Amino acid sequence: MRFFEKYASLIPVLLIYAILFAIGISFPGMWQPVAFIMFYITLGQAFNIFLGLTGYVDFGYVAFLALGAYGMAIAVDNLGGANLGYGIILIGLLLAILMASILSVAVGAVALRLRGAYFAIATIGVNEGFRYFVEGARLWGGSEGIIISGDMRNIFGRETANFISTFVSDILVFIIAILAAIVTILIMNRRMGYALMAVREDEDAAKVMGINVTKYKVMAFITSASFAGLIGASAWTLKMTYVFPSDVFLITYTVEAIVIVMLGGAGTLMGPIVGGLIYGILKYYLSITLPGFQLLVLAPLLIVIVVAFPDGVVGALRRRLTGNVKKYLR
Amino acid sequence: MLKVEGLESGYGTMQVLWGADLEVKKGTITTVLGPNGAGKSTLLNTIFGLVKPWNGRIILNGEDVTFDPPHDKVEKGLTIVLEGRHLFPSMTVRENLILGAYTDRAMEKLESSLELVYSLFPVLKERAEQMAGTLSGGEQQMLAIARSLMTNPDIVLMDEPSQGLAPKLVMEVFDTITKLKNEGLTILLVEQNVFASLEISDYAYVLNEGRIVLGGTIDEVKDSEEIKKVYLGL
Repeated sequence: MRFFEKYASLIPVLLIYAILFAIGISFPGMWQPVAFIMFYITLGQAFNIFLGLTGYVDFGYVAFLALGAYGMAIAVDNLGGANLGYGIILIGLLLAILMASILSVAVGAVALRLRGAYFAIATIGVNEGFRYFVEGARLWGGSEGIIISGDMRNIFGRETANFISTFVSDILVFIIAILAAIVTILIMNRRMGYALMAVREDEDAAKVMGINVTKYKVMAFITSASFAGLIGASAWTLKMTYVFPSDVFLITYTVEAIVIVMLGGAGTLMGPIVGGLIYGILKYYLSITLPGFQLLVLAPLLIVIVVAFPDGVVGALRRRLTGNVKKYLR
Repeated sequence: MLKVEGLESGYGTMQVLWGADLEVKKGTITTVLGPNGAGKSTLLNTIFGLVKPWNGRIILNGEDVTFDPPHDKVEKGLTIVLEGRHLFPSMTVRENLILGAYTDRAMEKLESSLELVYSLFPVLKERAEQMAGTLSGGEQQMLAIARSLMTNPDIVLMDEPSQGLAPKLVMEVFDTITKLKNEGLTILLVEQNVFASLEISDYAYVLNEGRIVLGGTIDEVKDSEEIKKVYLGL
């Protein structure tokens, strides 16, 4: 019973994913918008593990997605002839995690010694710096990037390569979203979750209570970055079949991730899902109905929501709920 | 129990402590007095590890803990009540207390610590389910002290516990500190309120410009020339 109480909040999350998946495969033309929305939900989930649980804002977050994208591209590009079949995708995903987490250790070891706003400022440079480094040092193809569409056709054949790009990559995003939700609730239910809660509320108080503040911040940072790497590898490289530095090191994605987490409710399990749903649906349909204006409409809307619900939609909802329902919404 | 030798520290390039020496004996209240800017808070924060020591030694229960990070010191029985309370305002009193018992050392004694805290501060038991942010100033200070006790400490550092409280509440805080001593705790106190803190202390040190200029039992310090010099400029 205790176990059920602790993990009951996963039920609505999985239900939402199942509904989205059902809509996507049942209605013609709906797979694309569902995949678009799922990308934002998953991005929010991954970012929430860091921003939501620690209260630290990382403006260089997209660099982890970018490195994940490169990880997959490098794997396919270099091991394409090795006849590994679907194994190559697994290797690509592992390399994505590895590269993103190595960068997060490097950034975290330095920047996580800084507090709040200073950390945010320090991380702004990471993404831009890395992009110019890749382009300037002609690393990984420099500004020409890595194109893997040819490799994919050679490895899998035209049909399967197409299937991977249009379907498997999106399924992977679904799987990442489920894993991210499970990891989030695992952290929240454990001692690490309580430690991070204390850090988020008052870092000095956390230290006084004997919490190893740096350790938990770095752990959350690496976990969050690893998920970002997986998203970059799946939603970008496998889907687009190319990686260009100017596309992947785009700070817009960081800002979108921040908006989604704040909108839904930072530090909650359901928050990034609600935030991702609202943001993804609005962006998708506004860019169809008012092409070019979607960001213009979103800005005032987001300001209103952030002013009206400073804890995000889920935070505000939780405040109104009591008792039994509350355990399903975390 | 706690011994500090030649402790130096500061912020950036500015040195604040210039070799502070002091000793805190088990089961006593020891007060560090000194004018504003003498380095009292820096001394406590350096002992606890929030400010990194530059030089010197900190010995806790015979063990050199000079460069241990704060969380290790808490596990070894040291804790601090920070200036300005640092509570979690949007959590209940009970949640603040439970979260305070975070370390292994503290979790072992969770139930008995809670019992002790509620017996020392009955008002916190009454308000257990109230948000910490809605408590009065005096109650918040009590909660800050109570939460530090939840770590199951041997020795508690206290930084200006009477700050910002009405005179009646100040006396209450000092009574509480005496009660803690009677429970067998050791306390190192930093206070602006010289007379009240001298009244409850067993030993006192006078810190001036980053150096301990005087130390001894209360009677020795009370009547010394040094304290007149430091406080009255005589």
